[in-house]
Amino acid sequence: MAAIDHNDSGIPLARTLPPPSSSRARKNLQYLKENWLLFVLGGPGLIFILLFNYLPLMGNVIAFQDYSPRTLFASPWVGFRNFRLLTETPIARRLIVNTLGLNILFIAAETFCGVTLALFLNEVKGKYFRRIAQSFMFLPYFMGWTVVAMVLFGFIDYQVGTINAVLARLGMERVALTTQPAIWPLLLTLIRVWKNAGASCIIYLAALTSIDASLYEAAAVDGASRWQRMRFISLPALTGIVILLMLLAIGKIFYGDVGMIYALIGSQAQLYPTTDVIDTYLLRALQVNSNYGFSAAIGLLQSFLGLLCVFGSNWLAKKFSQRQGEEYGLF
Amino acid sequence: MIEKSNWGDRLLAFVSYVVVAGFAVMCIFPFWIMVVASLTNENSLTLNGYLPWTTDWSLSAYKWVLAGKEIQASYLASLARTVIGTTGSLLVMSGLAYMMAAKRFKWRGIVAMYTFFAIIFVPSIIPWFITTRNVLRLYDSLPALMLPMMVQPFWVFVLRNFFAQLPAELSDAAYIDGASDVTILFRIVLPLSGPVLATVGLFMAVTYWNDWFLPVMLIDRATQLRPLPVIILRMVNNMQAIAEAMKQPGTFVPLAQLPANAIRMATACVIIGPIVFVYPFVQRYFVKGLTMGSVKG
Repeated sequence: MAAIDHNDSGIPLARTLPPPSSSRARKNLQYLKENWLLFVLGGPGLIFILLFNYLPLMGNVIAFQDYSPRTLFASPWVGFRNFRLLTETPIARRLIVNTLGLNILFIAAETFCGVTLALFLNEVKGKYFRRIAQSFMFLPYFMGWTVVAMVLFGFIDYQVGTINAVLARLGMERVALTTQPAIWPLLLTLIRVWKNAGASCIIYLAALTSIDASLYEAAAVDGASRWQRMRFISLPALTGIVILLMLLAIGKIFYGDVGMIYALIGSQAQLYPTTDVIDTYLLRALQVNSNYGFSAAIGLLQSFLGLLCVFGSNWLAKKFSQRQGEEYGLF
Repeated sequence: MIEKSNWGDRLLAFVSYVVVAGFAVMCIFPFWIMVVASLTNENSLTLNGYLPWTTDWSLSAYKWVLAGKEIQASYLASLARTVIGTTGSLLVMSGLAYMMAAKRFKWRGIVAMYTFFAIIFVPSIIPWFITTRNVLRLYDSLPALMLPMMVQPFWVFVLRNFFAQLPAELSDAAYIDGASDVTILFRIVLPLSGPVLATVGLFMAVTYWNDWFLPVMLIDRATQLRPLPVIILRMVNNMQAIAEAMKQPGTFVPLAQLPANAIRMATACVIIGPIVFVYPFVQRYFVKGLTMGSVKG
């Protein structure tokens, strides 16, 4: 107290305060002292994100290195050699085509089925029927992909699979689905719809239940049939959320669903031409201990394209939602 | 409401019921096959395949599955991972969410950005693997099955948003009365957050229970830590894996004697059992989570 000069008004004089930079540091230190418990509470979470998110991001440097397990991230630098190798093999092209192709199929099919289901479910009036149907519909969503892999085996296996068992019963010829890569994109899409359409239907249904009931009543008074009400009231009410969810899904279009595809395809190499995506390729690369630098280059390319897509689709989502007079989008 | 009942409207009602019922049956049908097949005598399965009905029932597959040493260990690993992991996730994530929601915390903008960028900048699998395994030395242990997925930024934001809309007067008053942040979080904020904790906890529990990625990547010598999804993944195409999973102490069973086809489905039933069992009670939290998760980045 004694060190602080006072003028007549009793307000401490500015010149008696320490220089600004150190004052700021001291203020921050004081602040930390008072609020250290906040850091105790939030700190672990911040550390987890640092260790499992930001640290691996920095590890992307190995795309520019000749990786060796002894030197880890300090391996010798090789510039863009890994990326040059990438352009010389046909593998990158196949992976990108498969990743994009499958994701486009998934997005289209899931959206279409989810919306159709929601529209029809909205027309179902029986309360119990509705509740039971809903519970059935999103049960598959909570099954792990490895269980789904077993279910798939149960259906398509050449010897005991249900499809072949029924075909054999009917005296028809068995089909060997695992040797026909051409039908697998379709098969995977079907499985995706089976697993996820019920869940996405819930989201659309939430949008439908928020529609003002007086709209439907007014339309009914004006003589609109139920088909017309569905077409001109329910469907337009969904466009916003459909476009938004699609854009967000497009933001992730360069990321293959490794949880699904690796579990379902595994090491059936005859199916790779149509089902191998970037992520499954990278996972296998880790298991066979092949050239990490080269694989990391594919991964970095994926991250880069993915990032462009995220920002692009988010920008579009924002533009679109502003036109609708609402505000969504991630950032 | 005026309902004019004409043919078109009746047709729509009919089509709605058929489409919804059809899809619902399609969703449940594979589970039906699974349950029936797991209860069918192996001879009938090898002869006829997995059919929706049988007359030749048998419980022997379940006897094998429940007695198998590896399956028991694996069940334990799955349970431990799910229970400890979910608890840990909720604790760590609510701590971080509380920090971001605290109005008097002056760096909360920075912390929110830091957490948010983790949603956009997803690490690529190869550097992730090298960091986790070779730098952090996290493998062949129970923590390896939990720590890498413990904090999910998306759910942190869900918790943050919930905490932020709680009446600020409560925590402010407690703070002025000298309560610490720990007290405020555990005595005031968390007890008021039942529904959101249930939703986040359920989704995390399902994630831990179903995940196969961490064990495939990080468990290789500690086979007793292989959780159920890995066991079943190995069983799909591999008879040897089935025999290993069914191994019982002190007995030798020739591969050919195992009811392998029934065991496959019985194992699947045993894995989804807990989910199906709690599902009716927690369904509304799942619905909540799905609608929240719709804008998940």
